Amino acid sequence: MMLCGVCIAGFTSSVFLDVVTRTIGLPVLWLQLATTGFFAWGVFIGMAVATRRIDHLNLVEITKRIRGSKRTCIEVFNRTIMLLVALTMLVFGVQNFMNDLGSFRAPSLIPLATYTASVPVAGALIVMFCVEQLVNGLINGFEGPEDADDFVGIVR
Amino acid sequence: MTNGAILLLMTACFLGFGYMGVPVAFALMAGVLAACALTPISMQSMIGQMFHGIDSEILLAVPFFLLVGELMTSADVTNRMIKLAQTMVGHLRGGLAQVVTLFSMFFAGISGSSTADVAVLTRTVAPEMTREGYDRAFTAALIACASTMANLIPPSIMAVVYGATGNVSIGGLFLAGIAPGIVIGIGLMIYSHFFGPVGLRKPRATLCEFADAVRASTLPLMIPVIIMGGILTGWFTPTEAGMVASVYILLVLVPLLAPGHIPNLPRDFVFTGLLYSIPLALVAAASAFGWMLA
Repeated sequence: MMLCGVCIAGFTSSVFLDVVTRTIGLPVLWLQLATTGFFAWGVFIGMAVATRRIDHLNLVEITKRIRGSKRTCIEVFNRTIMLLVALTMLVFGVQNFMNDLGSFRAPSLIPLATYTASVPVAGALIVMFCVEQLVNGLINGFEGPEDADDFVGIVR
Repeated sequence: MTNGAILLLMTACFLGFGYMGVPVAFALMAGVLAACALTPISMQSMIGQMFHGIDSEILLAVPFFLLVGELMTSADVTNRMIKLAQTMVGHLRGGLAQVVTLFSMFFAGISGSSTADVAVLTRTVAPEMTREGYDRAFTAALIACASTMANLIPPSIMAVVYGATGNVSIGGLFLAGIAPGIVIGIGLMIYSHFFGPVGLRKPRATLCEFADAVRASTLPLMIPVIIMGGILTGWFTPTEAGMVASVYILLVLVPLLAPGHIPNLPRDFVFTGLLYSIPLALVAAASAFGWMLA
């Protein structure tokens, strides 16, 4: 989470400096590259953090209302799908990274790989977090405090 | 396998996994990867497409507007705007319901996030409405409806994402959202007046009280002026407008109106850093999904 904060603080500063340097007539071109770098890394690192905190957006929260072995089966299935997607991000992200070592972003000629590395790194983190959640869930169960229904009072 | 069958498979994967509880971004990617396995399109290019989906300068506006909303909320600057809304419409029938709607219009012009709007209102006005005897279901419904104005009134984050993905002018989308947003607000106020709970009738605020409330909320209400003024006059892009609004809050609003909040600023950045990545991870996955469909 700290890295997410660093990324947003980084690109706020770089956009600010970009506007200031441009206004005073001394534009610094690499600031735009720094901005997009912070932004991309922030998105993919945040994606991994959201996986760990179970903060991602869901179509339905069906599993929170289920208990016991049925819940375990569904949660294991869901984590397996996430794990497969994350593994794909990791494996093919590394291939993209290797290819992008030879591509450069104008005007500073920074390797494109410095940006695209965010995808396999996020993939690796998500794999770790999914495995952690699977192991914890299978040992201690998938039920947790986040299952509490905040809207019960309103619906009643 | 025919194109139709692949399309069907992608949709089935997305909806099936989504309804099983797989996060939307992962359900979308699962659909894309399943389709990749049955076509000559490489998975490598699809993972690359995820990155290219968010590699857009316009999308940078999203975290800035979320940061604006988060800073305003956590520094309690929003209370000033709620007080202004109370002095303007608090004396009407269903006073607090009117306050919710008017405040949503103000806040929509600052954060552009319906989630931030709901978060503020449920923490501030909703408990007060319960105390005054408003039905909780009515309160929840009103807040949910009023917060949708944030998706129309500029700087709407939805408009930024739509503009970035659809290659449409964001300034134009912002301008187009003003009138429908205000009409929805007026409609909700009319509904609350005639069909909503009566609530506690309060005396009309005096001119002095109104003037005090205006003075107290002048600085926060400068934000929509900075954002829209800057974009429409061509001084800055939507991204830069978001940055200017964030810097204005950090350098002017927080030190002047909530100096005690300064030590908590790193926490706001960390939280916003997580908050913006969730919708943008969706944009990345949706970009790969859309590319596969095309």
